[in-house]
Amino acid sequence: MTRQRAARTRAPAVASPLAELARTARIVVCCGSGGVGKTTTAAAVALWAAEGGRRTCVLTIDPARRLAQALGLDLLSNAPRPVKLPGMAGPGSLDAMMLDMRRTFDEVIERYARDPDQADRILANRFYRRLSSTLAGTQEYMAMEKLYELHESQRYDLLVVDTPPTRSALDFLDAPENLNELLDARAFRLLIAPAQRIGRGYLRGLNLATTAMTKMVRRVSGSELLAEVGEFFAAFEGMYDGFKERAGLVYDQLRHPSTAFVVVATPDGPALREAAYFAGRLAADRMPLGALVVNRIHRAGTVPRVPAAARRRLADLGADGRLLADLLELHDGLETLAAAEQRRVRDLLATVPNLGVVQVPLLPDDVHDLEGLRRLGRYLFA
Amino acid sequence: MLEVLDRARLVVVTGKGGTGKTTVAAGLAVAAAGRGRRVLVAEVEGRQGLAGLFGRAELEHREVRVGDGVHALAVDPDESLREYLARYGFAPLARLLTWAHLNRFITAAAPGLGDVLLVGKVWEAATRELRPGSAAYDLVVLDAPPTGRVVPFLRAPETVAELARVGPIRSQADRVRALLDDPGLTAVALTCLPEELPVAETLEGVAALRRAGLPVAGVVANRVTGDRLGGRAGRLAALAGDPAPLAAAAAAAGADLDGAALGTLVGEARDRQRQVTRERRLLKELRGGLDGLPLVELPFLAGGVAGPDEVRALAGHLGPASAEARAPRRARRAAGAARG
Repeated sequence: MTRQRAARTRAPAVASPLAELARTARIVVCCGSGGVGKTTTAAAVALWAAEGGRRTCVLTIDPARRLAQALGLDLLSNAPRPVKLPGMAGPGSLDAMMLDMRRTFDEVIERYARDPDQADRILANRFYRRLSSTLAGTQEYMAMEKLYELHESQRYDLLVVDTPPTRSALDFLDAPENLNELLDARAFRLLIAPAQRIGRGYLRGLNLATTAMTKMVRRVSGSELLAEVGEFFAAFEGMYDGFKERAGLVYDQLRHPSTAFVVVATPDGPALREAAYFAGRLAADRMPLGALVVNRIHRAGTVPRVPAAARRRLADLGADGRLLADLLELHDGLETLAAAEQRRVRDLLATVPNLGVVQVPLLPDDVHDLEGLRRLGRYLFA
Repeated sequence: MLEVLDRARLVVVTGKGGTGKTTVAAGLAVAAAGRGRRVLVAEVEGRQGLAGLFGRAELEHREVRVGDGVHALAVDPDESLREYLARYGFAPLARLLTWAHLNRFITAAAPGLGDVLLVGKVWEAATRELRPGSAAYDLVVLDAPPTGRVVPFLRAPETVAELARVGPIRSQADRVRALLDDPGLTAVALTCLPEELPVAETLEGVAALRRAGLPVAGVVANRVTGDRLGGRAGRLAALAGDPAPLAAAAAAAGADLDGAALGTLVGEARDRQRQVTRERRLLKELRGGLDGLPLVELPFLAGGVAGPDEVRALAGHLGPASAEARAPRRARRAAGAARG
């Protein structure tokens, strides 16, 4: 047992790829499927950097209640709050914020509106209220928008953010384009007001088509909603350019070498498949992929092979023999599990060239306080 | 879960992300087929999670046979929109939408329409008749969105229909609701892991589904560590200090295990036992919160769930195959036809 414990805590020969990130990156974005320890990993990275002397802020989407309490995040707030770090000396600090994506979209509207009146008209619009919560990736994009705003404020050396626990988390990569396309869509505006926009004569074919489409949308959604859509587009007039420009800036920052995406997974099949999907998606969008973290790795200790004949004899040796036979079988199961996990991790790494990987062993307790985050940090940064 | 598998027309499988929804949906489908029912298992999130479990590279928006008595389908929103429009006499419009890449705008203009189409497709399969009185499937198993999204998803037809008092949308929403709200026809099953957050989220999910009036039938706890040692685990602490009894047994059996090896074995068993104890505590908490709802445990499979073999193994835990169903399917169908 002691030997096994020693093996577990031994420092690996190469430095953790996360250590470099936590020292130098300006933005770390954690992504991965649900239940893999993404929020916890993000918090541990932020705490490590803060205690290493950097002014750090962690933005989380949906932390577990006890972890939220540990970070002082009992309330959803759209502004960072300081986390008390008892006994902390030096220049570092840690702020935490639970992101209200909805509120962020509202703030963006307020920022780009010509005047408060325009902002109010948009914010009160029923179509806007639905759009901001349903268009794929919009909420996730708003997380990036908030991230960019905090980055611009230069209040922090490092921002760590975790993304929502769904595959659609990376839809934010498409969101600005979706949004721009939607807001800019001539065809869609034609659909809203075909009579005004389409003159006589040569566009009659299109006119017929848009009339049919309008009829369909009316039939599906009711005409009240359609009127609201029209109002929304009218209210939004003049805001497109600001939106587009901003989306471009957010994108440039995400692609910048001072940003790092960290893909978090557990060593089971579905989580690693999702990790491969995330890694591929980030590569396709030329986003800087920093490292892969695999949490909850099983490890088996070294035990000599015991042949089947000896095991059969053990089973006939009374209670102690049967117990030892069972312990051997449990060990076999653990070895199978550990080998299957390593095979799956290798298979994933084969598809993503040059990706640094950090493997964190299964910890005996859930992480729900600062001490737990520090313990986790020792594995992440060893 | 047995009763549900034999009776329901639609089983909706939801749960926190990462708790094995897709695996359990596949397992329930195979278990029901093993009990003689013709089953369709459908996924709606475009993840292609079902394909591998049935040994296929990919599934399409087309029902294909993937096993004995089991068909599978990956519902595609764009295809559903085309089908939907065609059904209500808008086929040329469907072509125009595709041509102009405008599907996204339509779904943005009528938020929830995407979900309406997905739910509608599932409803259509669950109620389809080959000829009057003869259903295409006895049971449809839906690999649904995760707990946080499942209520708005299932209620999408209703939400959109609020804007339409009459017409095809309204009447379809009413029919979908009639299927979903009937505990005799529909059963919602939640998947869970024996871990802290999933247990809490499952209990919240059950409450939310009940508030929405949806018939919750039970919870499947996935990947539960087997308690191999039982009461004998109590000896491990003493054996960690003094492994002499094990050393004696090893020597008597001719097993080459020194003190360090025995220490490793006992240490690993203790780690596992701590895990078992923690899982027991969490499952007890879960059971207590479920108020008598069935809770089925599925064992943790060390090699993972890679394909049809593991799905069959899990299906065995969800519901044993019936003797009648083990008889060749064709013979039964012939007998059924003779009876009818």
